Amino acid sequence: MSRRVRRKSAKGAQKLDLPDQTETEDADYLKLNEDGFVDWTRLPDDTVIQLFTHLNYRDRANLSSTCKSWRSLGSSSCLWQSLDLRAYKCDWKSMGSLASRCSSLQKLRFRGADNADLLIFLQAINLKDLSGDYCRKLNDSTLSVLAARHNFLESLQLGPDFCERITSDSILSMANCCPNLKKLRLSGIRDVNKDSINALAARCPDLYEVGLIDCLKIDEVALGNVVSLRFLSVAGTTNVKWDLAGESWSKLPNLKGLDVSRTDVIPNVVMRIFSSLKSLELLCSFNCPLLEEDTTVYTKSNCHGKMMLSFFNDTFAKLSPMFPDLEKERAIFSVWRNGLKKKDGNLDEFMTWLEWILSHSLLRIAESNPNGLDQFWLSQGADLLLGLLQSSQEDVQERAATGLATFVVVDDENTNVDVGRAEAVMKGGGIQLLLGLARSWKEGLQSEATKAIANLSVNPAFAKSVAGGGGITILASLAKSMNRMVAEEAAGELWNLSVGEEHKGAIAEAGGIKALVDLIFKWPRGGDGVLERAAGALANLAADDKCSMEVASVGGINALVTLARKCKHEGVQEQAARALANLAAHGDSNTNNAAVGQEAGALDALVQLIRSQHDGVRQEAAGALWNLSFDDRNREGIALAGGVEALVALAQSCSNAFPSLQERAAGALWGLSVSEANSIAIGREGGVAPLITLARSQTEDVHETAAGALWNLAFNPGNALRIVEDGGVPALIHLCSSSMSKMARFMAALALAYMFDGRMDEYGLVGSSAEGGSKSVGLERARRMALKHIETFVLTFADPQAFSAASLSSAPAPLAQVTESARILEAGHLRCSGAEIGQFVSMLHNQSPVLKACAAFALLQFTVPGGPHAPHHVNLLQVSGAPRVLRAAAAAASAPLEAKIFARIVLRNLEHHQIESA
Amino acid sequence: MTSSKTIVLRSSDGATFEVDEAVALHSLMIKHRIETGGADSTTIDVPEVTGNTLSKVIEYCKKHVEAPNSDDLKSFDTDFVKVDQAVLCHLAKASYYMNIKGLLDLSSKTIADMFKGKTVEQIRETFHIKNDFTPEEEEELRKENSWNLFV
Repeated sequence: MSRRVRRKSAKGAQKLDLPDQTETEDADYLKLNEDGFVDWTRLPDDTVIQLFTHLNYRDRANLSSTCKSWRSLGSSSCLWQSLDLRAYKCDWKSMGSLASRCSSLQKLRFRGADNADLLIFLQAINLKDLSGDYCRKLNDSTLSVLAARHNFLESLQLGPDFCERITSDSILSMANCCPNLKKLRLSGIRDVNKDSINALAARCPDLYEVGLIDCLKIDEVALGNVVSLRFLSVAGTTNVKWDLAGESWSKLPNLKGLDVSRTDVIPNVVMRIFSSLKSLELLCSFNCPLLEEDTTVYTKSNCHGKMMLSFFNDTFAKLSPMFPDLEKERAIFSVWRNGLKKKDGNLDEFMTWLEWILSHSLLRIAESNPNGLDQFWLSQGADLLLGLLQSSQEDVQERAATGLATFVVVDDENTNVDVGRAEAVMKGGGIQLLLGLARSWKEGLQSEATKAIANLSVNPAFAKSVAGGGGITILASLAKSMNRMVAEEAAGELWNLSVGEEHKGAIAEAGGIKALVDLIFKWPRGGDGVLERAAGALANLAADDKCSMEVASVGGINALVTLARKCKHEGVQEQAARALANLAAHGDSNTNNAAVGQEAGALDALVQLIRSQHDGVRQEAAGALWNLSFDDRNREGIALAGGVEALVALAQSCSNAFPSLQERAAGALWGLSVSEANSIAIGREGGVAPLITLARSQTEDVHETAAGALWNLAFNPGNALRIVEDGGVPALIHLCSSSMSKMARFMAALALAYMFDGRMDEYGLVGSSAEGGSKSVGLERARRMALKHIETFVLTFADPQAFSAASLSSAPAPLAQVTESARILEAGHLRCSGAEIGQFVSMLHNQSPVLKACAAFALLQFTVPGGPHAPHHVNLLQVSGAPRVLRAAAAAASAPLEAKIFARIVLRNLEHHQIESA
Repeated sequence: MTSSKTIVLRSSDGATFEVDEAVALHSLMIKHRIETGGADSTTIDVPEVTGNTLSKVIEYCKKHVEAPNSDDLKSFDTDFVKVDQAVLCHLAKASYYMNIKGLLDLSSKTIADMFKGKTVEQIRETFHIKNDFTPEEEEELRKENSWNLFV
């Protein structure tokens, strides 16, 4: 390998070497078009045709539509040998438009009984291979017409859904019309009778493979007459009279492969078949309970030299004798495929059948997911599926991918993925295999492979490997597919990948966000699955600040609001609301909060969703309104849209709901109650009582949020009275003294302080005079209780040592220490209005020393340097001339020590801010 | 696997390249010429391919002949087709005429990827293709492709 490619000749020499004729010939191939660009239309025809073969039908159609020469190449018969209509809308017109290109069509796949009726319009009279799924409603007359119109049919496959309406009559027509029939695979026929099977035996001399799968009843004796059979599968078929079957099938002279998986076959029959059927090479018997009871049958199979496949035998080892030179048993399928050129017809036929029945059985078993198969899946099942994934039969590949998507899910309800199984798939190289299929132009494969990737990615390690293996780019481009099934699975996978923080950036970079938003515009209705997944993925992505801006910049707000407004599917509504909630959660760092509110109909739609029957929808909508209410305009908009009424109704109805719903209901009311007008409306609509109920919740998040709402409400004396009347005082006292959440205790204390600062007395006395007496007695008792607990609460933050140090010295250090022990970190996020701050200032004058201390304590929290809203509060205090009041409070002889020291700290905070701003 | 024999390939523009016979035989066209052309044919004309393209083709064949199972072959292929449109087009043609299946697959897959998901207009624009259809033909085309709608 020492030589290098080198250019030997100088430019000047070339003319001597070249005959003139070459130059003219050459000119044609390399010509540029008139604009000086490479002329792509001059590519050799074969090469253009090869280009077509890498494209899906839609891309092919587009390429054909660019110019005349490519149009004619695009209709080349070699590109129209096989057609997969499963994902396409079919009607007689569209089928008719295809007819001119279907005269040499060999292979056709379709979906559903309605479409089966239309296939005759293709006029594919030379069709050899017809395969349909979703054929539950396919009836005899349609099938008979198909048989009559396609006399050259060699293979018919209907399943795996049960063909409940097909009877022996159409099998009879098949036998009569299609004498070339070689393979017949039917699923879920009720009764396959003697006459129909005998007709096949008599009329179809080449019939070598029959699959009567999941049938209810078959004539086992008649099957013994189909002497041309080399392969027979009765997997999943019931009511087989095994004695008769054993006797008559033993007469099939050419039978090489028999599949009795998922049946109640008994050992005796198997032994009989083994001893009398010399030609038999393989028996496939997965999931046969009666055989599994007597495992001696497995060892006996060896004596007869038969390969027997089951849960308890290693399939790879069993098959290995067919490949004497095999180095690695596990590579058996690829070794066979790579050796295809050897053209061992018998082996190829055998392996082709084996791949098919294996893929079928494994998928069925994965679907029913019986217990106790962990060992099987880990030791061979996963590898078998991966081997089949590389089949040259498209439907085998699809089933293997579906199998992988299915077998890893061990708990359907919670989509729990088995870690061991996911690892087995990874270890077997599954990620690259699946990503490879996802890149195929064949959309059936694309969607099944993507589904498998999506399910497996519930496992974080798998997701990580998918991302690491270049999966995100592939998935983002699949999400742009025009094929809804493909796009849906891709969106589902992006939903899974976007759960953690680690892949969000990569998804955005790969154009995934735009692809997801475009999905919503592409299928505005009718595609609930795709919409739910797209909205779910966007919701996850929107939780990230940067991604949320991208969602907004590519029109995501409009798309999600449209979903929230128009979509009736609850899953979609829930995810759309969650996405809007997350978009609005970045109030401090971007403008999406305001932008969502300004989108036409957004607030109305979310308020409407609050009235949904579905807890998930209500929860996410309430969460969205909570986040949106941080913006002043949105807050008013929500109220205008009837948000107060809807949220009060929600709070009233959610006493037995999940805590997460309760929290958001209370939270949204808290958000709205920031404005006093809303606060009054909430009280009027009956919001106080349910909030008190929520304040009694054991769950911290719920009672903390409810305390926040009650605190805001209590600012209004009318509401304060309602809280008293509805039994709120004991509830708040309980919170204030025993919640684990400092914030809940703090806000409950402030609510009580508002209620008993004297304003309610004036308000309350306006009420009826007859009740007045007893009422004021009750009120006085409540007030004493409240003050006592406020005092206890404040004192828990007053460290005696630090206090005595601070009272003796005017140095900053002791005050800093008091602040340290008194500060409630989360309280920095609370924002008070001018009126509220004013109220605290006036509380400093209050006769009650407890309220004085409480007010000073609150102002301390609201002005601690570094708090997000501290500058705002400081400003309010300065403007209202509070420093004077604070100085008085700090110096007053009669005030309690806490009040004086807290007031001193507030003054210090004010100074700090003054220096800062100066 | 170094073969003792070398062969000279001559491009349309007279550039000549001396390569191992094994590398040259990666092209089935050349293999056929050698097998049918007699013993003295140590210089083989490749009049369909220019020197620039031929040197790329040889680079490809060399890699695939010398290290057919190496791990980096895939990334070699990926990088190999990261070239501009014109070069890719010439490579596709050359691999067709020289009958090099792997390279033909690789280049046509790469070109096909450039078509994927594009509208008719976008394809015309990207590949400088003139619309030579009459309005009547365009209507026919529309009908012809009307089936192409997903469920």
